[in-house]
Amino acid sequence: MPSTRALKSRIRSVGSTKQITKAMQMVAASKMRKTQDATKASTPYTLAASEILTYLASQGATRRHPMFVKREIKSRLIIFVAADKGLAGAYNSNVSKLYTKIRKQDAAAGIHTMTIGIGRRANQYVARLKDTDVVAAYDNIDDNPSGRVLHSILDLAVQKYTSGEVDSVDVVYTKFINGLRQEATTRRVLPAGFAETEVSQNIRTAEYEPDVDTVLDAVVYRLVGAQIFQALLDAKASEYSMRMIAMKNATDNANDLVDDLTLAMNKARQGAITQELAEISGGVEALKD
Amino acid sequence: MRLQLITLLGVKFDEDIYEMNISTADGEIGVFPGHEPLVTLAVPGVISVRHKKTDADDSMELFAISGGVVEISQTEIKVLVDEAESGSDIIESESKAALELAISMRDGAKDQVELEKAYQLIDRHQVRLKVAGLRRRNRP
Repeated sequence: MPSTRALKSRIRSVGSTKQITKAMQMVAASKMRKTQDATKASTPYTLAASEILTYLASQGATRRHPMFVKREIKSRLIIFVAADKGLAGAYNSNVSKLYTKIRKQDAAAGIHTMTIGIGRRANQYVARLKDTDVVAAYDNIDDNPSGRVLHSILDLAVQKYTSGEVDSVDVVYTKFINGLRQEATTRRVLPAGFAETEVSQNIRTAEYEPDVDTVLDAVVYRLVGAQIFQALLDAKASEYSMRMIAMKNATDNANDLVDDLTLAMNKARQGAITQELAEISGGVEALKD
Repeated sequence: MRLQLITLLGVKFDEDIYEMNISTADGEIGVFPGHEPLVTLAVPGVISVRHKKTDADDSMELFAISGGVVEISQTEIKVLVDEAESGSDIIESESKAALELAISMRDGAKDQVELEKAYQLIDRHQVRLKVAGLRRRNRP
């Protein structure tokens, strides 16, 4: 049996680990709430863009647009989204597994795959694989990745697609379903697709300035941007949920461990006392004779 | 009429207004209640909003936007903007410093991509400075 002193120092070290995991759990919980709210914030934007697109599609304008053209898939671009850090349970490994599976399927079908990596873990993972064609890599993006990062990803994807270099663009990310369920999944962003919505009278009768094609260009570009943005936000919300749960489990485990160790320590201490008492009474008996 | 400024991060502004001025690809337009339905594109620039008919020019609310899609009906305006900043959030000295940084980025750009980025930043900060300038002029 280990000594009481050794047990005491182990209890102390498990206790400080617990404090850290507890703090990480709290941080992840607060970030999760924030990102979870943000996943819903882009809905009005997407709806308004889809409404205009639904009408323009019904007028046949999307048929000749380069971002809607469907081609046979010979090469594709994958936007692979994972976290910057570990300690998030199965978050990174689930999405990496899906990415590898798609790469294998593509390789078997003779499809050339290019990758944009988002998150340090994603980029490290991709760098370890053989025959990868990395187009761009982003580390440490914001929790609200609008603005410059989003535009540079979007511009790159659109340029690769419209130039014919790739025949589809897919995002591999972790979809946020609710606080307990997150799912690694893929979403096709190009060729462009959108959920048809009801079209108001206003959109039907409106004038389009300077002309329909220019407006269509701008709206499709923004809708694809919104879809990528949504995927990035979902990934962030999933990451924080999974990190929170992983850290909660770690804290619970540390608690159990502290309990077990305390019990062992008490037993050891009691054992030592009993032994000392036995020795003393043994000594007394010996003196009597 | 109702004006909504919608960004990817949520609805930035949603209020009843009397008049809105916005720069589009074909020049600046003013929108009043009863405007013909119109879908057009906004370029980086300033949106100025008059809340009530009786409001003076110097009490108009200003926003810096970085381009977007404008949807106008007789009773409603929706602007899908990439980025919108309220005039009161802009600090002139910061924008000036950022503009200088962007200009030095343009001069030191190594490739086309960096150059494009620099031009975008320059546009953005020029718009912000314009808004800040307008606000200063309007203040008594």
